[in-house]
Amino acid sequence: MPSFDPWVWVSALLTLAIFSFLYKDNPFYKIAEHIFVGATNGYAVTFYWHNVLVPRLFNPLFQGHQLWYIIPLTIGILYFTRFIPKISWLVRIPIGITIGYFTGIAIPAGIEASIIKQVGGTLLTSENFARWNAGPLGIVWSIILFIGVLCVVSYFYFSKEHKGVLKVTSGIGIIFIMIGFGAAFGYTVMARVSLLIGRLQFLLGPWLGIIR
Amino acid sequence: MNFIDRLTTINRKIIYLVLAIVIVIPLIFPSPQKVRVMAPVEKLFNAVDTIHEDKALIINFEYDPQSQPEVEPMGLAVLRHAFKRRIKVLVMSLYVQPLGLAKSALDQVVGEINAESKSNPDSIIYGRDFVFLGWQPGFYIPILGMGESITNVYKTDYYGNKTDTLTLMKQTKNYNNVELLVSLAVSDIPIYWVAYAQNRFGLQVGAGVTAVSAGDFYPYYQSGQFTGLMVGMKGGAEYEELLATRLNIHKRRKAGETLSSITFAHLTIILLIVIGNVGFFIKRRKR
Amino acid sequence: MKRTLPLILLMIFGGFGILPFFIPHPKIQNIDSFLRNDLLLILYAFALVLGLGSLLHVHVNKIKHRGQNWQYSWILIVTFIVCSIIGLFGGVSGTGPLPTRIGNFPFDIQTIYLRVEVPLGSTMFALLAFFMASAAYRAFRARSTEATLLLTAAFFVMIGILPLGDKISHHLPSFAQWIMDLPLVAGQRGIIFGIALGALATELKIILGIERSWLGGVE
Repeated sequence: MPSFDPWVWVSALLTLAIFSFLYKDNPFYKIAEHIFVGATNGYAVTFYWHNVLVPRLFNPLFQGHQLWYIIPLTIGILYFTRFIPKISWLVRIPIGITIGYFTGIAIPAGIEASIIKQVGGTLLTSENFARWNAGPLGIVWSIILFIGVLCVVSYFYFSKEHKGVLKVTSGIGIIFIMIGFGAAFGYTVMARVSLLIGRLQFLLGPWLGIIR
Repeated sequence: MNFIDRLTTINRKIIYLVLAIVIVIPLIFPSPQKVRVMAPVEKLFNAVDTIHEDKALIINFEYDPQSQPEVEPMGLAVLRHAFKRRIKVLVMSLYVQPLGLAKSALDQVVGEINAESKSNPDSIIYGRDFVFLGWQPGFYIPILGMGESITNVYKTDYYGNKTDTLTLMKQTKNYNNVELLVSLAVSDIPIYWVAYAQNRFGLQVGAGVTAVSAGDFYPYYQSGQFTGLMVGMKGGAEYEELLATRLNIHKRRKAGETLSSITFAHLTIILLIVIGNVGFFIKRRKR
Repeated sequence: MKRTLPLILLMIFGGFGILPFFIPHPKIQNIDSFLRNDLLLILYAFALVLGLGSLLHVHVNKIKHRGQNWQYSWILIVTFIVCSIIGLFGGVSGTGPLPTRIGNFPFDIQTIYLRVEVPLGSTMFALLAFFMASAAYRAFRARSTEATLLLTAAFFVMIGILPLGDKISHHLPSFAQWIMDLPLVAGQRGIIFGIALGALATELKIILGIERSWLGGVE
């Protein structure tokens, strides 16, 4: 039994408007697309205001009389000097502060998580052998992984021409890369299909009542 | 136009129609599929299952409407698991868009449990059993800030309540009181949890991710930086299977019921690729 | 001054970002906590507001100068204003001063999010399934050994991860999982090293003021 809920019909019609793009670009699709951008940003404004600006800035400043909050307020307002050409250089101040801090914390975090720990996971240690939960076969897999990682890294080494030993290792590396990309493609297919199934489930279920 | 030419020039709208049909039919005529649980999901399940009574679980809802069908079943499954085992749960997001979906998932699971409960101790009560912290901007700010003090970062929760007045938040000060964080994400967020929260504060991190980004996360799972990993709809279905077999939770399996459609869709796409290649090779040989 | 001051600030705050990782002294940690929770958090909120302002600026200009499809910009702006009013005055849970319900018909911000934004967002990405199927049919050719390897791995994974794979052979799901655990990890890890080292180099260049593209402009 089709739904009588007006919001379900709104959702269904918007869904069909987006699907109409499969036939060709059309005004319904464009209208739905622009509604999406407008609604997304309107939703975001709600939380910027209620969850951040009011409890973290305006309340402490105007109700709590914590006057030092004028400093982040002033620096934050400098963002809007972007729209005033004569003083637009001031926007570099808040940008410099945020980029500087983020870059600073990213350095040790990136080194530890993406280099040190990843190297640790590649090395031939008893911990890594055991991680496979495959008994003696874990040693074999670990050795193959070790060789594979070295060969892949050699493939991406472009400072020297791929000749001789480098040609052999980069050739092995590309095999690992291609198998990995194939697996990634297989998962990508599942991902995209899952999203489509989700929408069709909504149309057939809550809207048309064909499936439970 | 001969047969080979027809084979390699099928109109794209016919492809769209065929794909839609092979997906719709199994949805209308469902057939339950036996799901085999693999190690990454089982590890995550065990990690959630063995959370100590005095520790909390943080669930980071980080999926947006664009990936909701894929990741939401994981979120529902982990919530059901946590509430069944009476694990204290904190829910938060690092971006704005996932908030509504987090609230929707919480409302659904809490509603399910409270509809069946017979007394206050059985029920899931906000503030006592779970808190929805909401969102604060600058993703690394909450990640690092919660290592020192959660209520300092989230001074108010999603609903506007002062977090330091909530019972659960009086017991859960920072990551020392949290045993595991499960990040349900579509982007690199789980890796940021590992890079910032795990490296500095030793927090255990598990992840539920979209299948598209699976390749990015497997190296971190292999190195032990992720305690467990759910990938895509199949990962959600495996977790649902574990809930049913180990904890007797038999709610609607949102991920499991799509497996038939996914199977036929995969077979269709494989067939299309094979057809395309057969036509390509025959044409190449003729030349 | 116009370029020097921001560069100096970047360097100082970059230092503030790195130091707490290595110095557990309470004074350093407190300064770090204060910077993050009380300064940077608010700056980020303003940056997001700026993003919104820029979006509106673009569309208002489009309407003013009658750019391509300018009529749709009206839809965007009106939707944005309506949703903002409902959210700001109706509150996050619909409990604000603005009523967000007419009888049994709710129109609070959460309802609009679930009934408008979610269907639109998820359908946009659902389209990709169709495009991917069509593209795979048209373009995915086993022209070389590498491409054949890629296709073969893809087929094994696409079948192996599903219950059908288990029905065909009990070893197929394990093999598909092995592909994810070994060749994929080897390939991706090499790529991760490259990206991490490149990112590290760029981050150091930014902090040391060698990389200045973020300053923008000539002035």
